[in-house]
Amino acid sequence: MKNNKPDLGRRRFLARSGITVAGVGIVSAGLLSATAWAARAVGEQGSATLMRMARDIYPHDRLEDKYYAAVLTPLAQQAEADADLRTLLQEGVAELDRRSRERFGKPFLDIAAEGDRVQILRAMEDGAFFQRLRGDLMMGIYNNPELWPRFGYGGSAWQHGGYINRGYNEIDWLVLS
Amino acid sequence: MTTKFDLNDDSLVVIIGSGAGGGTLANELAQKGIRSVVLEAGKRFTLDDIENDEWKMFGKISWLDKRYVEGPARLAKDFPNLPAWIVKGVGGATMHWAGVAMRFQEHEFKMKSTNGVVPGANVLDWPITLKELEPYYVKAEKKMGVCGTEATGMPFHGQSSHYKVVAEGARRIGAKCDQATLAINTQVRDGRPSCQVNGFCMQGCKIGAKWSTMYTEIPKAEATGNVEVRPQSMVLRIEHDKSGKVTGVLYADKDGNQQLQKARVVAVAGNSIESPRMLLNSASSMFPDGLANSSGQVGQNYMTHTTGGVYAEFEKPVHMYKSTVVPGIVHEWKDNDASRGHLAGYELEILHLGLPFMSAFLNPGKSGWGRELADSLANYDKMAGFWICGEDMPVESNNITLHPTEKDQYGLPVPVVYKTDHINDTRMRNHAYDRSTELFESIGATKVNYLPPYPASHNMGTNRMSEKARDGVVNKWGQSHDISNLFVSDGSQFTTSGTENPTLTIVALAIRQADYIADQMQRREI
Repeated sequence: MKNNKPDLGRRRFLARSGITVAGVGIVSAGLLSATAWAARAVGEQGSATLMRMARDIYPHDRLEDKYYAAVLTPLAQQAEADADLRTLLQEGVAELDRRSRERFGKPFLDIAAEGDRVQILRAMEDGAFFQRLRGDLMMGIYNNPELWPRFGYGGSAWQHGGYINRGYNEIDWLVLS
Repeated sequence: MTTKFDLNDDSLVVIIGSGAGGGTLANELAQKGIRSVVLEAGKRFTLDDIENDEWKMFGKISWLDKRYVEGPARLAKDFPNLPAWIVKGVGGATMHWAGVAMRFQEHEFKMKSTNGVVPGANVLDWPITLKELEPYYVKAEKKMGVCGTEATGMPFHGQSSHYKVVAEGARRIGAKCDQATLAINTQVRDGRPSCQVNGFCMQGCKIGAKWSTMYTEIPKAEATGNVEVRPQSMVLRIEHDKSGKVTGVLYADKDGNQQLQKARVVAVAGNSIESPRMLLNSASSMFPDGLANSSGQVGQNYMTHTTGGVYAEFEKPVHMYKSTVVPGIVHEWKDNDASRGHLAGYELEILHLGLPFMSAFLNPGKSGWGRELADSLANYDKMAGFWICGEDMPVESNNITLHPTEKDQYGLPVPVVYKTDHINDTRMRNHAYDRSTELFESIGATKVNYLPPYPASHNMGTNRMSEKARDGVVNKWGQSHDISNLFVSDGSQFTTSGTENPTLTIVALAIRQADYIADQMQRREI
């Protein structure tokens, strides 16, 4: 099941915090491959570039590509029907590569050092293209219940009777001096 | 049976807002047999609407009508349209609060006498003292069910893992730390259950263990037959007659139709942005600067508390989310001691955020991305932290004004909120960051993150109480200096912010105000 319905709450919040967000994909079987997902919207090179960028924005080396792709896939799908969004993504990728070539003589994807890529991205962070990616990723990574166990976050607790009988007062490492 | 009052019934009290101030006032008056209509801009929610989900609840209950934040503070850049984090719904901000219920300290009612003139600040003594308010604090604690107090005899919640980490750090640096007095049941009380530690106090308590007017004062008031609550009723203006008395309230109902409810008394309790905005929007040829504004202080002296966040990372898990949201308070620096380099005091309130909100607030705004942030978020389960809550200097130019051209969906000018630090606020926050760091490092923190202020849930001061009419908007009863049948019943009447979370004081003032209104009505003074 894919859930592409935008969450009004998040979108409203982000609109007020200067970012925008689309739907957040829930990871599941049947996802497009990491390189194919955005090919129709921004081309193969473009889709690989966005994946690299996504992993640089919120780098969690232990998280698989599929979690980042789950954010980018609905974005690309939306871009197929939304010409403005398609332009935002296409021009964003082009701008990223233009700046990368200017500074390092190669497209963004070919810059090996994370620090060098971050330098390019920092210079673009105020723009709509970057903030669109950032907003979608923030929701897709940190507001994704599938990932909460990986971050050690419990999520909704009331249906389990809260923590009153599930260790709210347990901590074993605190040495009381 | 639901009570319905006629629009032309001019014997009623019309209360605008249903939160800590308005909801309490309605019930207190109802218990005395005084009839009122409560106009609430938001919808009526039920416990079924409440979810343990930060973003979903944000979207569901927050006040998200258009507003602007201006000024040089980082908040204006990070959240240009969200100055305040409050609620649009029956129950108001008593849905979105952690339950922290502390009384003001004696000196906090007389900050001008205590410190003299503070350059750049508009400090004033309250026209009331702690001694005068104490009996009402007791009533408020009983009403709300505040644990850890003599008034209720309810025990504290018990020490969560988050509390234990901070308490040990506090002990090592010699700072006082105690469990928080919370308006959250630790026993079955007043028809509500005991806390089961869901950890989502701020999203609305799913089981109703935390006090909220949504399921306490409001239904109790309605049960008397003396109160009609009209949700989705947005006030457009307060009307007055030739003598300058208020006569009714014009509002847009849920279908967008304008209605005029007549009134004998009007009480404004829409929180510290909407309340002054209503008075300013009610300007007339007789009151060209807005109602109750002969002092020019309506909308001025906007205070939010001096805030910030501090989140430390440790080598081993804390699981801070397995706790009431505020399990304890480090209150070593709540006094007024100028030798610290700042006036007034602050509390370090142990407070957790869930992972979704932590990702948005650890480094808010456009620059909040990259490996350092991601590494900290990867340590989410090993974090412990504070929300800094300190007294905020009243500064006249921190204010609520009306946008000169832009209108909202009701056709009302959009409110513009200007807020920036007084130098005392900055010094206090820096002191709090330093002491917090010392505390966390004493127990082995590997990294300490400082969070800038986020949208304010404590909003105060924009219709302040004053002894003299020239210095403020209302007198010591929350009654307009200018218009005797117009009252302010929310945190906007605070003369200064105090260090403590405002809700308990708002409730105590509302109980006290109800006694006064009843007395004045009986004497035919209003």
